[in-house]
Amino acid sequence: MLRGVLDRLLPRGRARAESFGGIIAMERPSALVFVDRAFMRSLGLATPAPVWATDRRYLTAPVEAHLTLTSRCPARCRGCYVDATPSGRGDDATEVLWERAVDELARMGVFHLALGGGEATGAPFLLKLARRARARGMVPNLTTSGLGLGEELLGARAVFGQVNVSLDGVGEDYALARGWDGFEVAAGAIRALQASGFRVGINLVLTRRTFPRLERTVRWARQNGVREVEILRFKPIGRGAREFSDQTLTVDQRRELLPAVLRLARRYRVRLRLDCSMAPFVCAHRPDPAVLTFLGIAGCFAGDHLVAADSAGRVSGCSFLPAEEGLGSIDELSRQWDRVGAFVATRAYLERAGEPCRSCRYLPICRGGCRAVALHEGDAAAPDPECPRVATCTGSQSGPRSNS
Amino acid sequence: MIGLFRRRGRVLAVKLGYNPNSSSLGADVTFLVLGAASIAILAPVVGALVRLALRRRERREEPPC
Repeated sequence: MLRGVLDRLLPRGRARAESFGGIIAMERPSALVFVDRAFMRSLGLATPAPVWATDRRYLTAPVEAHLTLTSRCPARCRGCYVDATPSGRGDDATEVLWERAVDELARMGVFHLALGGGEATGAPFLLKLARRARARGMVPNLTTSGLGLGEELLGARAVFGQVNVSLDGVGEDYALARGWDGFEVAAGAIRALQASGFRVGINLVLTRRTFPRLERTVRWARQNGVREVEILRFKPIGRGAREFSDQTLTVDQRRELLPAVLRLARRYRVRLRLDCSMAPFVCAHRPDPAVLTFLGIAGCFAGDHLVAADSAGRVSGCSFLPAEEGLGSIDELSRQWDRVGAFVATRAYLERAGEPCRSCRYLPICRGGCRAVALHEGDAAAPDPECPRVATCTGSQSGPRSNS
Repeated sequence: MIGLFRRRGRVLAVKLGYNPNSSSLGADVTFLVLGAASIAILAPVVGALVRLALRRRERREEPPC
C-alpha cells in the first residue's frame, strides 16, 4: 500500500539522448528538463549515446507533436486557424492513420501530444487514441472549446496530462474575440473538468480588443481555481488571415505585454505562459538571455522541438505553417525527419537570418519570431514584422500604434 | 567540489508544465520575475527530482531510454 502511495506521489520521468546531453520528460512535477552529457552519464543513461558523436543542429525527434484530429467544429470562431466548420473540410484522416501516427511518434521518442481540432472532442476516437498514446509512454494533452465534453471523457482523468479550455475573455469579452458567446460553455467545461480531477488550464488568444481585459480574465482564472493561463498571439491563418489586421496587437500593446503579464502573475499568483510567437515581445525588454534559455522561453522551434499534422495527417513544422511538400504523412515521420531540406525555413533560420535579426543578441532565443506571421506578410524567411526591434530598425510600425 | 559538479552534470534548461495548446509551444514566464535567481532556485531542485525519478525507474528495471 505504501508503495502505491509513493508511486502516486514521487516524480516519474523518461529520458532521451540528444547531441548536447539529453532531455528528461517529468511527470509530477510536469517539466521537460534539458541536461548536459555529464548529467546523463551520472544517471547511467546513454553512456555514450551514439548521437553524441554527431553534430546535429536539431533534435533527434520532436519533443511534442500537435495533432489536428478533425476539421469539424460547431463553434465557427471567426479567427479559427483551421477554418473549421460543422461539416469539416472533407479530407480528415482516418482513425487508422492516427493510430499509426501515435505508434510512429512513440517509436521516435516523442514525449507529449497536444490533441486539438477543430473540436477534438468531436472525434469519436479521441479517447481511444489518447489511451493508445499513454500506453506507449507519451503524455496526451488536449485543447477544447468545451463543446461536446461527455461523461466518458470526464471519466478519463488518468489518461490526460492536462486539458486546456479556450477562453479568451470573461462574459461578453469572450465574443469580442471569437465572434460567438461561448463563455458559459467554456466556464462550464472548466468546472466539470476540475470536478473530475483534471489538471485544467486556459488558452487565451490575445487580441487588440481583449488586451485591455486581460486582467479580468486572469482574475477570473484565479477565482475559479485555474492556476495556469496560456496566452496566445492571434495568427493570420485560416479565417484568422482575414481578421488579422483588425485583431493583432497594437505596437504599444506588444511593448506592454511582458510587464503586464509579470504584474498579473505577481498579483494573482497564476502561472502565465506565453506562446513561442511572442518571443520577440519578450526579448524587446532585454531580459538576461541566460535566464530565457534556462526557462525555455524561445521563439520558433517548428520542425525541431515541435511537429504538427493537419486534419488530413499532413506534416508541417507547426500548426500555423502549411503542410510541407514531400514530407508526407505524420505516420511516416521518421523517414522524413532527417531528410535534407526538411523544415528548412525554420531549421535554417539562424544561419540564414538577415538584418536586423543577424546582429540581434537575442537571435538564438527569439529565432526570428513567428514564421507564420512572416509568411502572411509575404516571406517565411523574413524577420517577424511585428517584432519591436524589427519595427524600429526598418522604420515600419506594423499595425496601429494604439487601440483606436 | 567543482569536480563533483562536473561529474554530476548540469541542468541546462527547464520547461515547466505541459503544453496542451495544440497550435504553438508555450513557456512559463512567471519565473522571469525572479530574474537570475530562478536558475539558482530551479536548477538544484529540478536536478534532484530528475535523479530521484530516474533512479526509481532504474530500480524497477525498466529500460532507461
